[in-house]
Amino acid sequence: MDITLKLWSVVAIVGALNYLSRLSFIAIFARRRMPPVLARAFRYVPAAMLTALVLPMVVGAPAGEPWPVPRIAAATVAGIVAFATHSTLKTLAAGMGTLWVLEAVLAGIG
Amino acid sequence: MLPACVGMTPFGLVCGVGAAAAGASVLGALGLSAIVFSGAAQVLAVQLLAAGAPLAVVVLTCFVAGLRFVIYSAAMAPYMGPLPVRWQRGLAFLLTDQAFATSIRRFTAGGDTRAAAMHFLGGGFALWAFWQLTNVIGYFVGNLIPPKWSLEFAVPLCFIALLAPHFRSPPTVIAALVAGVAVLALESLPMHLNLIVAGLLGILAGTLADFAAERWTSR
Repeated sequence: MDITLKLWSVVAIVGALNYLSRLSFIAIFARRRMPPVLARAFRYVPAAMLTALVLPMVVGAPAGEPWPVPRIAAATVAGIVAFATHSTLKTLAAGMGTLWVLEAVLAGIG
Repeated sequence: MLPACVGMTPFGLVCGVGAAAAGASVLGALGLSAIVFSGAAQVLAVQLLAAGAPLAVVVLTCFVAGLRFVIYSAAMAPYMGPLPVRWQRGLAFLLTDQAFATSIRRFTAGGDTRAAAMHFLGGGFALWAFWQLTNVIGYFVGNLIPPKWSLEFAVPLCFIALLAPHFRSPPTVIAALVAGVAVLALESLPMHLNLIVAGLLGILAGTLADFAAERWTSR
């Protein structure tokens, strides 16, 4: 299949599926009362989903390669700054800065 | 939402670079960012397209990665009730990780749902517009950025910034811990299914911890 046609098929199908995912419960529950157990469970959506999203991006390494220690250290620093400041920009600066320093130091040693 | 916009810039650039590398036209890249409107799905789609994966595999993988939107939708649903149906449909389109993480706190804090929805709508649209801009910039000049800068690392950093304010109680920490262990332990699952399974396990653990804490304090 031609790459252009394939790409636009992905745009149309994934676009539609993603939109239906986003609309699903909003359409079902907006006019109904949510069972209290579910309402309570949804409090834990951000913490659980964002952690599941972020962790593989930090510790993920191609098979056979060691754990990316500078990234894990930089993400830890960023996590502390994020918790203390609630600031996206400070978190970005702390995390990227730590990563650059550590990689420069490691390159200097190696 | 403005910090979220700035924070998402590297992610948009990475998506644009990926689309260009996969051989997409600029219109195709824009179609992807404007209609699919999900960084994770866009990165997966262009990687799989570049690798020559069959259409069904690309679609299914992106769909599974996007199943977290179902959970976001469920968490937002109780606050959408007072709004007209047309609004609900528009807001649903703007439901991304960033828009969800920043606005759900505003909704759960109580107060005026309509004002929170306006904030979500305005912020969500700003994120959408900014996302298109960064994707196009990434498409044209993203490959000028030296790989040594590890710009893609800004993506998890953005999510860390979004995540931190949600740690407010022991059950939220338990939810995150369980989700984190599960997502790494289940990494061998196909199509990034580990993301949604780990998320659900974390939510379950947080809910159980919440009930346990309630029983403990009421004794």
